[in-house]
Amino acid sequence: MRPISTRNGFWRFLLRRVAFGLLTLFFLASLLFVLFHVLPGDPFSMYFDQGFSQQAIDELMHRFGLDKPWWQQYLLYLRNLLRGDFGMSFQYYKPAIQVVGERFWATIALMAASLAIAFGLGVIGGAWMAWRRGTPAEKALGVVALIVRCAPVFWTGMILLSLFSFRLGWLPLGGLRTPGQPITGQWSRFFSLDFLHHLFLPALTAGLFALANPLLVMRSSMLEVVKEDFIRLARAKGLSERAVMLRHAMRNALLPVVTLLAVMAGTAIGGIVLVETVFRWPGMGREIVMAVRARDYPLARTSFFLIGALIVFFNLAADLLYGYLDPRVSRD
Amino acid sequence: MNGLTGGSTSVAAPACALPAGRGRTAPGTVLRVSDLTVHYRSRRGPVHAVTGVSFELRPGETYGLVGESGCGKTTLVNALLRLLPDAAQIAGGEAILRGEDLLSLPERRLREMRWKHISLIPQSAMNSLDPVYRVGDQLTEVLRAHGRVTREQARTRVADLFGLVGLDQRRALDFPHQFSGGMRQRAVIAMALALSPDVVVADEPTTSLDVIVQAQILGHLREIQNARDGAMIIVSHDISVIAGICDRIGVMYAGQLVEEGATERILNQAEHPYTMGLRNAFPALDLDDEKDLLAIPGTPPDLVSPPSGCRFRPRCPFALRVCAEAAPPALSRPDASRVSCHRADEAGQLRRLAARQETWLVRGEE
Amino acid sequence: MRSILDALATDRLGLAGLVLFGIFLALALIAPIAAPYDPMALNYHPDGSLVRMEPPSREHWLGTTRMGRDVLSQLLMGTRPALFVGVVSAVFVVGIGTHVGLVAGYFGGWVDDLLMRITDLTYGIPFLPFALILAAILGPGIQNMIIAIALVSWRGTARVIRSQTMSLRNRPFVEAARVAGAGHWRIIYRHLLPNVAPLALVYLALTMGWAIMTEASLSFLGYGDPRLVSWGKMLYDCYSSQAMFSAWWWMVPPGLAIALLVLSGFLMGRSYEQIADPRLVQ
Repeated sequence: MRPISTRNGFWRFLLRRVAFGLLTLFFLASLLFVLFHVLPGDPFSMYFDQGFSQQAIDELMHRFGLDKPWWQQYLLYLRNLLRGDFGMSFQYYKPAIQVVGERFWATIALMAASLAIAFGLGVIGGAWMAWRRGTPAEKALGVVALIVRCAPVFWTGMILLSLFSFRLGWLPLGGLRTPGQPITGQWSRFFSLDFLHHLFLPALTAGLFALANPLLVMRSSMLEVVKEDFIRLARAKGLSERAVMLRHAMRNALLPVVTLLAVMAGTAIGGIVLVETVFRWPGMGREIVMAVRARDYPLARTSFFLIGALIVFFNLAADLLYGYLDPRVSRD
Repeated sequence: MNGLTGGSTSVAAPACALPAGRGRTAPGTVLRVSDLTVHYRSRRGPVHAVTGVSFELRPGETYGLVGESGCGKTTLVNALLRLLPDAAQIAGGEAILRGEDLLSLPERRLREMRWKHISLIPQSAMNSLDPVYRVGDQLTEVLRAHGRVTREQARTRVADLFGLVGLDQRRALDFPHQFSGGMRQRAVIAMALALSPDVVVADEPTTSLDVIVQAQILGHLREIQNARDGAMIIVSHDISVIAGICDRIGVMYAGQLVEEGATERILNQAEHPYTMGLRNAFPALDLDDEKDLLAIPGTPPDLVSPPSGCRFRPRCPFALRVCAEAAPPALSRPDASRVSCHRADEAGQLRRLAARQETWLVRGEE
Repeated sequence: MRSILDALATDRLGLAGLVLFGIFLALALIAPIAAPYDPMALNYHPDGSLVRMEPPSREHWLGTTRMGRDVLSQLLMGTRPALFVGVVSAVFVVGIGTHVGLVAGYFGGWVDDLLMRITDLTYGIPFLPFALILAAILGPGIQNMIIAIALVSWRGTARVIRSQTMSLRNRPFVEAARVAGAGHWRIIYRHLLPNVAPLALVYLALTMGWAIMTEASLSFLGYGDPRLVSWGKMLYDCYSSQAMFSAWWWMVPPGLAIALLVLSGFLMGRSYEQIADPRLVQ
């Protein structure tokens, strides 16, 4: 994230970031094309398998230009991509984009919840650790966070599931909602108590796994900021210690943490794939695992691309958030 | 050069470690510091950064605290503001402002007093403004912290303050990094004046600024003090800065206040050898004399175990044996200036000697 | 080498990491001999029935799996693929990353811009899905796993090495070399590389930890090398045979092993980092 000096302020900064985001998406799409066309294997197997009717095959051959030279296929591929056409899923016999679309919000919900837990707890915990620096409690928290970070997230999930779901029965065994529960509308799909009940454990698992980074970064950031001259002056101004800590110290200490958010959005996805698998959470992560297993290439490609797009989006959002929080970066 | 302003002369207190009268300040004194002593913890033992400093600040006056780096002047003012680092400790003394001892105020009262009655223009204005908030908002913050102000009132006040220091009021919406160094210094001065405090402490207000900006800032400070009722303490290692705008000057050396008096008196009729040496180091003050720069040879003493008797003795060209044996007496003069030196009565002769370069190359009898 | 050992020795945590790593290394070396049973073999009671899902006992210190396999033997043998993938991938990753960082940092200008743009782009690639896709195309196997890791994970190292190179390239010793007529590549390899090596080693240790985690993750998803017994695969077996709720002896040890090995990598990397980059020392 390089600071830009710009006379036109925030908007130019935003535009440049968005442009780079689009470039990354283009790169991802091309990468997929290359992977599937250059690497060994029958390229046709990407678009259809034995289960398809001749009519369907012909239609696909035409739409994707499978009888034409590779560069034409590439252009058609890109064109179809822009239209949202990724081909037909082998397993579901529906357009792949439709299948993934159904899974999209489940993954978003899980990602948002786990990042909220990781960063929420991380920021508060990190500030607390800085405040209580040197005490055994602070060191203990650091150690615990570290160990959880080193333990594989799917294993942590299995353990939590075993403990809270199986043995204690407090939380469900997995899935998105209790089967048979009526869905009374879009709202209740995602904000019903049942949904949150199911979301809790997977989000907690992924959140705890990701916790160590924001925790430690916030801590060291706070320790640095508290030494700054403007903190000293804030105290001299007669502000309460709380105002100094919250309004001045934390606000400045947050900046590196936000940078971290951008980086972590990318790595968080890996965790999401695993957590969705353990908890049978019907999101894009679990879908890609199942699609690869079933050799459902269109679905696999689509999931991959959309996951990538999600990361690009998160990176962009984090960049913009940082630009907003640190005026030195985005304004003249 | 300003003459003495306001107030009747107060009872002079001794300059060195002799106990000062305690209690309320006499009328006509804004701040009364008695016997202030600050230690720093260090591996080798306590560092006696400030020892037994006493002085009084009169309403509306501009008091200059001068001395080389390490003499304790910054520690002194930090102690007044209670902004000392953890390793430092106020070992004794009082600082009475508005009938209350700043050094022993409880947290809550300290917060109320801070900025409202005593504010700070910090040494490094560069980093004293929070980079993520607009400059105007940071001023408003201090207004809000000490009382209710409507947004309109705050905006007006900020505009006034900006005007006072020569900043365009539209810049209140800018962030600190958009200000130049000189502008930031002005902003910080404006902020210090926001609540019209009784005392403003300016800690090296012009260090790290270029000469032209320095002159401008000093000019502003002078105007501000002229227009204002409050007192100001200006801390500097550069006597030319002090000389330009201060009414009285206090000279510090090795943690002690060695001489104090009206500016004119200190500059032209110094009675302490250190002051004489300091004077020589800044010939810019004399337009007609063409003197060479005379630095005082040697370095300040180790404050973990300061020299016996007079602390300036090892570097003093006029030192006598008595200077090693006994601490110099604190003397007050009829014009209310004070000095601590065994040979203060010979000051006239010593001044003539001090003006010559050779004097400083040979130390006196030990 | 000396300074590395010195650094590790002075920091207690770093030393702990080294010792931990050493233990795993030793176990990996003696595993075939130390393992009481063939990890893939089915074990039977004297009466011919399968020793299925038994809790820890004298014959099987960590109990058995649903298929009657000895958990302890699997655990011991699992050290091998973990360390192999960990170390080899880390070497590749750091190799690529260091080169990219050196070149970008040293030449600057459009070379730097180009390389950094490429690095930035790789940040958009979701790693695990990418590894899955590669596994789908190339087939499961340990070398494909290493390739996947190496292709994407060099970005962190590259960034950091680039920063350090940039701060080093204007130092006097580089100037001296240039004046003495050394060509670019000579300067990079002879003078800059030894100076960035400590930082590269930090990332080696950190990457190793991460690679081990990745191997476990891929194996857990079913894409591990089917010929090998790895910890991730143990957990895959445990999960898919629905045994995790009852057979804690099967579920806990592999995860714990992964955690400890990854921890050792992190401790080693972190402690050396504090020496290599004094700015980080508080």
